[in-house]
Formats: sequence, C-alpha cells, structure tokens
Amino acid sequence: MATIMLDELGFAYPGVLEPTLLPLSLEIKDGEAFALLGASGAGKTTLLNLLSGLLVPTTGRILFDGVDVSTQSGSQRNLAQVFQFPVLYESLCVADNLAFPLRARKATNGFSASDIQARVAKIAGELSIENLLKLKPKTLSLFEKQLVAIGRALMRPNVSVVLLDEPLTAVEPRTKWQLRQSLKRLQEELGVTMIYVTHDQTEALTFADRVAVMADGRILQTASPQQVYEHPAHEFVGFFIGSPGMNFVAIKSAGSEQMYAANGVDQSAQRIGFRPEWARLENVSAACTSPAVRWQGKVLHCQILGTQAGAPVGITTLASEAGELKVRGAINAIVGDEIEVVVDRFISFIDEEYCATHHAQSSTDYLANTADE
Amino acid sequence: MLRIQNVLLNSEVNCGFDHDFLPGGMTVVLGRNQAGKTNLCRFIAGLSTQVVGELSLNNAPLNHLSPQKRSVAVVFQAFVNYPNWSVQQNIASPIVAAGKDKAYIQSRVLELAEKLGLGELLQRMPNELSGGQQQRLAIARALAKEAQVLLLDEPLVNLDYKLREALALELRSILDDSETTVIYTTTDPKDAFTLGDDLLLLDAGSKLQAGAPLSVYQKPNTFAAANLMSDPGINTFAWSSLSDQAFAQQNQAASDISKLGGVRPEHLFSVDKGDFNAAECLGFDLQVSAVETSGDETFVHGFLKAKDLGVVEQPSWVVRSPGMLDFIQGQELLVAARKRDILVFGAH
Amino acid sequence: MATNKPYDNRAWLGVLPVLLIVAFSAVIPLMTVVNYSVQDILDFNSRFYVGLDWYRETLQDPRFIDAFGRQVLFSFSVLAIEIPLGILVARGLPKSGVWTSILLILLAVPLLIPWNVVGTIWQIYARSDIGLLGVGLNELGLAFNYTSNPTHAWLTLIAMDVWHWTSLVALLSFAGLTSVPPAYYQAAELDGASKWQVFRYVEMPRLGGVLVIAVLLRLMDSFMIYTEPFVLTGGGPGNATTFLSQYLATMAVGQFDLGPAAAFSVIYFLFILLFCWIFYNSVMSDDNEAQHHD
Repeated sequence: MATIMLDELGFAYPGVLEPTLLPLSLEIKDGEAFALLGASGAGKTTLLNLLSGLLVPTTGRILFDGVDVSTQSGSQRNLAQVFQFPVLYESLCVADNLAFPLRARKATNGFSASDIQARVAKIAGELSIENLLKLKPKTLSLFEKQLVAIGRALMRPNVSVVLLDEPLTAVEPRTKWQLRQSLKRLQEELGVTMIYVTHDQTEALTFADRVAVMADGRILQTASPQQVYEHPAHEFVGFFIGSPGMNFVAIKSAGSEQMYAANGVDQSAQRIGFRPEWARLENVSAACTSPAVRWQGKVLHCQILGTQAGAPVGITTLASEAGELKVRGAINAIVGDEIEVVVDRFISFIDEEYCATHHAQSSTDYLANTADE
Repeated sequence: MLRIQNVLLNSEVNCGFDHDFLPGGMTVVLGRNQAGKTNLCRFIAGLSTQVVGELSLNNAPLNHLSPQKRSVAVVFQAFVNYPNWSVQQNIASPIVAAGKDKAYIQSRVLELAEKLGLGELLQRMPNELSGGQQQRLAIARALAKEAQVLLLDEPLVNLDYKLREALALELRSILDDSETTVIYTTTDPKDAFTLGDDLLLLDAGSKLQAGAPLSVYQKPNTFAAANLMSDPGINTFAWSSLSDQAFAQQNQAASDISKLGGVRPEHLFSVDKGDFNAAECLGFDLQVSAVETSGDETFVHGFLKAKDLGVVEQPSWVVRSPGMLDFIQGQELLVAARKRDILVFGAH
Repeated sequence: MATNKPYDNRAWLGVLPVLLIVAFSAVIPLMTVVNYSVQDILDFNSRFYVGLDWYRETLQDPRFIDAFGRQVLFSFSVLAIEIPLGILVARGLPKSGVWTSILLILLAVPLLIPWNVVGTIWQIYARSDIGLLGVGLNELGLAFNYTSNPTHAWLTLIAMDVWHWTSLVALLSFAGLTSVPPAYYQAAELDGASKWQVFRYVEMPRLGGVLVIAVLLRLMDSFMIYTEPFVLTGGGPGNATTFLSQYLATMAVGQFDLGPAAAFSVIYFLFILLFCWIFYNSVMSDDNEAQHHD
C-alpha cells in the first residue's frame, strides 16, 4: 500500500502534437478509494497505463511512497490490475489462480505454502467464493470470473495499488451492484489503495472517497462525490455527472440584469447552471417583479420515471427563452402547455469554471430585504 | 399492422403467444438477456429458422418471404456498416438498391444525414467515426430503406451512458412523426417510458404483459411483470406478515398466506418514527447494508428486520430516492410506502 | 408446421457439387484400390480373387516392417524438433509492426518451394564435393558424406524436413499467439510471472487448438513423405532411408504388382487414420476429463 504522487505528469504519443494527457499533479492517499471518471477519449486509460507502467511518461514523474517509479516496469511497482473483462489463467483452478501472484513471487516475498493457502482461504472467504475454489474458470459465470479476478488482485498483502479498469463492463446490469459492494467492502477492510477507472457515474460516486472527473486529457475536478455533484468545478462536470446533466443558461441571453444582481451573481459570470431537481414547475403567474430566477416555456416532452402516490414523476423538457430546460419532479403539465420554471438554487460560472452557489431568493425574502433598506 | 400469432421464440417454450404491434408507433420490447428479444427481431426480419409462428403485415403473410423482400429494416447491437463505403454511400445503399433516381438519392441522403447529425461527416469512412456516430449511421441506413417496420435490437447498449441518454431522446424525436412501426428491444425499464408508445414484456420466450408503459407499470399482472418493469427489482414481503390487518383485509388477502406484497424501490421513502402516518402508509424496518448513488439518485440496499420477514422473493430490499442521501452501513431505518402504491400478487 | 418456416431444404443443392467432387476424387478411387487389393492382376483381362492374401503377405514382408519402423522414427523425430522449434520461432516474432510482415513472408518462403526442388536444393547443398554444407563440414574435419553414411543421410533428411516445415508450425503458432489479448500478458507481468510461467499458463492454453492442427498436419504429411528423400537420397544408402511411400512406389510402378501394392496402400491409409485418431482422441479426452472433474 502506498501514497501515490503524480508530479506534473503528462503524456503525448510520439509524433503527435496534441498531448493525450496534459501535465497534471495529484496525490492519492494511502488506502484511499479513488475514481477516475470521464467519457471515452478523456485520457483516463492513458493515465491508467502510465500508472501500470505500460506507458512511460513524456513529462513529469510518478512517485510511490516518495520513490520515483516513472521508468519502472509494472511488476517492479508491485501493483495489481483488474481488467474490463475477467482475465484468468484458464488452465488453473480458481484456488491456483488466486495463489498465482504469491507463488510467482515466492522467491522474493518469503511466503510459505501454508501462508499462501491461508491467504487464499481469507480472500475467498471475503468474496464468498469458497465453493468455487476447485473449479476451472471456463465453468464460471462472468460474474464469478470477475470476482476471482478481483480476488487475485487483492492476494498480495503488500500490493502498492490496485487499478480497476471499468471492471463491471462485462457483468450483467442487475448484478453489478453486488460486485460493486464486494469491492468497496474489501477496499475498506483491507485498506488497499484503489484507483477505479470508469465512465459510469454511479460506479464512481458509490465506490470512491474522491472522484477525479476527466475530459480532453485534463482533470477538471478532484473532490468528494457530494462535492462533485453539488459544486461542480467546471461546466463539463455539471453536465457529465447527473442524468440528465445540468441545465446551462447564458446570462446575456435570458433574464434581466436586475434578476441576476439581486441573487448575487458576479458581473463577470457568463453562465449559470442548475440541476433538473433544483427547479420546479409553476403555473404562469402575472407579470412578476420579484427577483426569483424564472422563465416561461412551452413543454416539449415529458419523460416519466415512475409514480409518486399515483401521480407520474419524471423529467419535463421545455423550450424557453433560456434555451431547452429540463426539470425533475412531479409531471403536472402536458406537451404544449405554457408553464413557468422557477429555479431555487443555481451555480454561476466564469469561463466555464465554478464561481459561486446561489440560493435564489423567493419574493418574500426580497420584499423583506427591500423593507430593511 | 404487424401481427404475430402463435409464436414460439425458443424450443423450451411450449405455448405460443400473439401480439399486434402498434401501427406507426414505437413498441418497446422489454426483457432480460435470453428472454427471446433478439429471436423475435430475427423472426420478424426473416433471419431466424428456430422461431416458429405466423407473421403478417397488413394482413399479408410474411413467413414465406426472404429477408430481402420484407419491408423490414434492422439495427443491431453491434455497429454494422459497410466498412469500405463512406458515410454517404452507406446511407445511400438501400435507396440505390431500390433503384431510385440520382436526384432523389442525393436529397434523401442529405436529409437523413442532417437528421442524425452526420451532415459534416458524409465523406468519412465508418472506422473514422466514434461509436455513437457509427450507430447513428446504422440507424440512418435503416431509415433510408423506408421500410414499414424498423427493428432496433438494443441499439444503444454498447455506448457510454451519456451518449445513450442523448441518443435515446433523439431517436424519440426522429421517429415521432414517422409512419414506421418501430420495435425497440431493451433490458432497461427506463427506455420503456422514454421511448415506448406501447410496451411488450417478454420473459423466457413468453409474453408476460402488454400495454401502455404507465398502465403496465401501475397495474402489473404478475410478480414477474412487475419485477421486470422495475430497476432495481421489486421489493417483496409475505402478505401474511403484515401487521396492518385492516389494510390486509381490504385486499381480501389476509387469510391467503400465499399472497405476496410488492413495493417498487422508488415508492419507498425514509421517515422519522414521529412523522409516520399509519393511516396512509405502511412502514418497514430496514437495516442498511449498502448505499449507492448516481448523484441525482440514491439507492439504499438493506434487509427487512426479523418481524417483517416472511417468504420473500428478493433477499434484500432497495430504496430508490432522489438526491444524494447519507446513510451508513448498519444503520436502522424506518421506510414507508403509501398504501396505494403497494402491489399484491397471487401465488405464482 | 413446415409451412411456417420460410425456408426449405434448398441448402442441400449448395452442398451437392462438393459431394460430387469428393466422390470422384476420393471415394471412388479409394474403392478402386480396395477392389484391387483383393485380386491378383496379371493383366487387366485376367484377374483372380485372392481374398486377404495380399494383406497377410504385406504385413509379413520384412522390407515393409523395416520401412514402417523407419517411417515412425522419422515422423516422430521431425515432430519432436519442428513443434518446439516452431513455437519458439513464433514467440520470437514481434507482435506488430513492419518487421512482423517481412518476417512472416520470409518464413513462408520454404513452404512455397515445390517439394522436388527442396530435395534438389538439399541434394546439392549437402554434397561433400561441391555443396556448401557438405564441403563446409568436411573442412571442419568431419568426414561428412550422406551418400555413403546412413546416419549422415538421416541427419540430412531431418535437417531438410525441419528447414522445409518448421515455418508452418511457426505460422500456425503465431496465429494462435496473436489471439491472446494483451491484457493477459499485462496481468501475468503484474502478477510477477516468469517468462516460463507466461508461456505455460497464458500462451499454452490458447495454443492448444492450433497445435493439435499443426501436429496432425505434420504427422500425416511426414508419414507420407516421398518426393524429398526420393530426390535427395533415392532411399539409400542401401535401404537406410527408404520410407513407406517409396517402397510402395517401387512395388506399384516399378514392378507393377498392383494387387500387393493396393493392399499396401490400404494398410498405409489405415495406419495414418489410426495415428491421427489416437492423437486427436487423446488430446480431446484430456479436455473432456477436465470438464467432468469440474
């Protein structure tokens, strides 16, 4: 187990001008569950390959516990990896698969046969795969295979870091959460540093203590799941996390200066963003002078997600002067209706970067404030 | 109208089913892996020899026609395009094959490319496109055929979730105004609501239920249908374990110990003991075993405490609530569901 | 129910040409040979049915038994060299890049040379008076002469066969190796596997299928070897390198003993079939056993 430091780490393929990974610095703490989240092409696989020693960085260094490992091979770094699809030694039974990393390094780690057996029993017990130990991989389901692959990655007690490369891709959707939970529980119990690479927000937000959101070869934000969702540091983070993502409104195009000013929006902010559940739908009110952030729009589409007390809830999409807006909650309008979107909470952005979170003032607050003055 | 009759989707099914697909609308076929969704598509397209049954389009039988002669277009899970043809040639291929004149081909290709956001990419080769673009191309080509029936067999399953989300909505608007009968297969109940005018539930090669998505959701015929139309799966409890006898009797099931109660994960919410409204809600004590979040929703996995245990279908319960909630593993929760949201199933 | 199926049995029409070709090129000639093998043919007009006499005679013929022994020894020698060597060569090839294609083409060259040319090349190459190899060895102080020394003749033959056919094993193995996903190598490296362990646990399980094919091809082919030894040594010195097919040719073409030659052919054919069957079944039953144990 190790603390991992990335120091101005960058990578570009030879002969390609545009670097795949822009220089970045990052510290991943010992025993931390860390997730790299991004769409395909964001650079997360490149970063993973740099960590695993498959690629050599063009700039910067990788430090494991203060030791520069940038040019070391993967096996020298003493790390383990779980791949997108289960990688097992097909001719070996599950127990031998688990024992493999310890047996292969027997000469250096001083494990006796009984130590290895005990460790196999412990890991198999943690993953509840004791009944599979004698089986050959080809008789296992994908789910079980991936469990074994995860088990093998956790066999070495002194492993510096376990890298997980979209480990749930091949697993059937309905069983994913069980694997996710096993993984998380093991991470906590064994205190292993884990880096989990994924494009799935649920996997990242559920698994990790901290999430790094990547796009275009950069890390846009590294923070706790809560922080990443509630206070995205960059517009892309707000868009990418959440289903559907944040609504964005250009300040110039919609809403009065007075409205934004009353809610404390910085003058240099260009856009505001709000999550679909931070807004509500109300019937169109008469000419409104209060400073609430609100727009009128026409319902384009209602996407039902379920019902609440018999009434449908879901996402309503509207066309308004502020552009296309999505609002989450009770569906109380039908396509074609004129309706008003009232935003309770929003974030202002300057140059696509986070500026401030605003709790929109309701009209009563406003009246109280003006009375004070 | 596309009609199937007495269809056996695989050799293990011994009782066939009938279905009339909504003409000019989109029918979502929902089922797990191996439920027979792909077999159904292959049968309608004429690609399968295993499926037995009668197939007719506007009352004219289709069974004896070869795939080329059927007015059916298909989009598969994998991105299938002609690799050595450009985007333009790919889209044009079905129209060229139909022998239409040049001017028409030109305008139709441009129209479709524009509609599917491929307008800038007409000269590219398929391998120069991203996954999402390749699948758009496959859809454009299928649309170009101007078939009366369009089959989409889990077309978005191989895409990143963000793309999937966007493309599903786009598909909806692209197909909204067309006259084509669309069949869209999926494993995700969410797609049923997003895309479906009509819904057909398949399980192990048999038809479970059909109807408008919301009505299937609200009034499932069987436990299997309710469970299929629920993500995560439906929570169950033995009806006989219910302490609220008055409510149990309302459903005339108190004496029937084989009855099963069901609650959808999204209909459960956690309440303080003091705020619990026994007149409107049923309460369950849950011990939290795991918490998962996608940001906009939180999934709390847990076990029912002993007094509520009966014969249950799922070993654990899931509560699905909006927002990011902070629960700790091992914590005890009182979760409630409104009585009108409770589902009752007979013995099965 | 047949009316519900959109297809009929027309697919059989597609198979028909193949059936016809196989019938005319394989089944009918084979039957002719079987027919000859139970007759004494003096000329085409006077034939006598002799039953299994020719079979008995052939199996008791000491020259046949000797040739058979040599044949088995030869086949197993070349297999023992070519299979490991082929795998070794395949592992040494780069996985991708310009060099891969260049090396693959170079490897394929021996396979493209006609068999009698291969024999001639080696016949000249190994000659102790003018051949590069023969003269070179003699210069080194080894009294090498494959025309008079049976051991030297054998070594030359085996060297020639290895030169000719190792490429085939290497190409097949290479195809097998490229089917190993890179993640498997990466996982093995991270697990700290040695080179031997990578070969044993990552590559071998994936090579199994192609190796079965390689062994079968080489076994059948080497068992039927004719042209190269015919050109190189002519079966000599003495009968030291006379293999089954050569003896058969002498019998059928040289002496025109059609009956015994036909019986010989059938026995020959059955032996090859038997070897392949034993080999194939032993490999496949290993597999099945592994499954049953699970």
